[in-house]
Amino acid sequence: MIGRDGLAGLVCLAGALGLLWASREIPHPPLVPIGPAFYPRLLFVATAALGAALVVADLRARRRAPPAPAQYRGVLLTFGLFGLYVGLLPLLGYRLATALFVGALQAALEPPRGRAWLRVAVVAVATSAVTYLVFERYLSVLLPRGRLTGF
Amino acid sequence: MFAPLLDSLVAVLQPQYLVPLAIGTAAGLLGGALPGVTITMTIIIVLPFTFGLDPLAGLAAMIGVYVGGESGGLVTASLLGIPGTPSAVATTFDGFPMARRGEPGRAVWLGTWASFLGGILGAIFLVAATVPLARFALQFGPWEYFSLFVFALSMVAGLTERSLLKGLLSAAIGLVITVIGTDPIMAVPRFTFGSDFLRSGFQFLPVLIGIFAFAQIMSDLERPGARDVAGGLRARPHLRVRHLAVIGEILRRPFLLLWSTLIGLLIGVLPAIGGSAANVMAYDQAKKFSRHPEKFGTGIPEGIIASEAANNANVAGSLVTIMAFGIPGDAVTAVMLGAMIIHGIQPGPLFMVSHPHIAYGIFAAYILAHPVMLVLQWLFTHVYLRVVLVPRAILIPVILVLCVIGAYALNNTMDNVYALLLFGVLGYALVKLGFPLAPLILGVILGDQIEINLVRALMTDADPWKFVTRPISGAMLALAVLSVVLALWQHRRHYARSAPEPAAQEL
Repeated sequence: MIGRDGLAGLVCLAGALGLLWASREIPHPPLVPIGPAFYPRLLFVATAALGAALVVADLRARRRAPPAPAQYRGVLLTFGLFGLYVGLLPLLGYRLATALFVGALQAALEPPRGRAWLRVAVVAVATSAVTYLVFERYLSVLLPRGRLTGF
Repeated sequence: MFAPLLDSLVAVLQPQYLVPLAIGTAAGLLGGALPGVTITMTIIIVLPFTFGLDPLAGLAAMIGVYVGGESGGLVTASLLGIPGTPSAVATTFDGFPMARRGEPGRAVWLGTWASFLGGILGAIFLVAATVPLARFALQFGPWEYFSLFVFALSMVAGLTERSLLKGLLSAAIGLVITVIGTDPIMAVPRFTFGSDFLRSGFQFLPVLIGIFAFAQIMSDLERPGARDVAGGLRARPHLRVRHLAVIGEILRRPFLLLWSTLIGLLIGVLPAIGGSAANVMAYDQAKKFSRHPEKFGTGIPEGIIASEAANNANVAGSLVTIMAFGIPGDAVTAVMLGAMIIHGIQPGPLFMVSHPHIAYGIFAAYILAHPVMLVLQWLFTHVYLRVVLVPRAILIPVILVLCVIGAYALNNTMDNVYALLLFGVLGYALVKLGFPLAPLILGVILGDQIEINLVRALMTDADPWKFVTRPISGAMLALAVLSVVLALWQHRRHYARSAPEPAAQEL
């Protein structure tokens, strides 16, 4: 039966073959001996071959190491909240979105009780305010403004 | 050579450069001391702060992070038994037993002074070797560059511990990322599928930040309590020592110091291997050459001196490679390379000639970072130990916000932030599937250059045998093949040795 390595190899093989097929669309400028599709095609053939080799190696493997035990709650929460943050940044603007993200992620990773909520709020607001001040005022880095808030 | 170096030393002593250098060194010491926050992560965090600075001031800050980070790791390695960075792993073997025996100050300062001396010896190599190597690289045509980059990629892929195939595939994925967007020679759009987001391709820094930062943070989050180090810090350790006695202990072992420094330099020069290999390899060599190898691991000074001298010398080796050839020695110099490109500086053989002010400034910043590191270590070690106790529920959101700023500030578009998220997911998925990240990153960095040099070579002369028949190019390709064959042989030997065990278990 195919394992995780084999599946990864299959994804690489399928991706490389798909891109190889898509490379037909790349125009070849006239009078140029080597066009812009030349190098990617070489690369996709090599990637497809390596992907196929990984599938074969996985099928031939006599044993598979079991995956290390892990807890994915924090990982999923962090990815989810970060995705939300990235989505909200252009809508709410840097200051508001950052304060909300820092507060939410702290609370998600280590649920606060009682006065700990105050610490969560202080860290959230301070992170947003200090980074905004440092980057906008002193390092001339313009941070995103919100389309909905105008701020 | 010495006059411009002296001028640069004087220039970097000016507050506009010295302050970023000192802040970078302090950040490096802190990041290095924090378990789970590597030097790469620290330099990613510091990166956005350098965008508004003069190029040399920004690079000075990054060099400070690099030097400080290599030394910061030894504090938690010695006092808590937890290496702050992978490049302090071997320091734990003797540093922690020595500290537990009641000599925490001796353990920390043996490591700090060995870092200082290894780094300064490395600086001699950095200054002396960069110019001749850059001159040598000036003989390179597109054939040689192509073969050099292929050699670098094959070596990094070959060093992958688990699977050579995965190492090579990881490098190939990195190269594939670079063919998306406008082609670097004729500006023809490729694989954009009509998307404006893909049209300009992926900038290198958001890819690197996404892949490294998320892979590390998420792997840390999978292990609840991984940074629960408070138990190791029972009481404020007594760190006072007689510094002359500590320096004397190191200088009484000149061969050990020089050999460890040389190992660190050589590993630094080789692309993308990094301080962790230098640290462990120097420790291993010190043990092999020792008259009493059985004492290693019990808290002897040789173990600390070897590992710490090597990891700081490794920084000098990495800087040589990036300055002479334009190839990053490791992930930290990869970020530095990205920062240089943002400032309009292209490292490589012409770098010393076209930007002597920056090049000698880098030498000066590297040299001055060491005394700065000593002073900061002396003043703030107890502070780092307190910061180690900051909960990760606070650290992680702050780090992620700085990653977003670093990506966004490159050209003030959200596209780079979306790329950050995309490659964060990809990096984590690859780590979970057991793919190494170093070959992928090197592939992303070198992808355009590999394509440009391959096409240029074939447009100049359509004969592909030129890659083999030109002496330097042929030698590089032979080394590339050799490194893959060697890796295959090592993997097969490892597999053959470990094969009987599962059979026995099954029985």
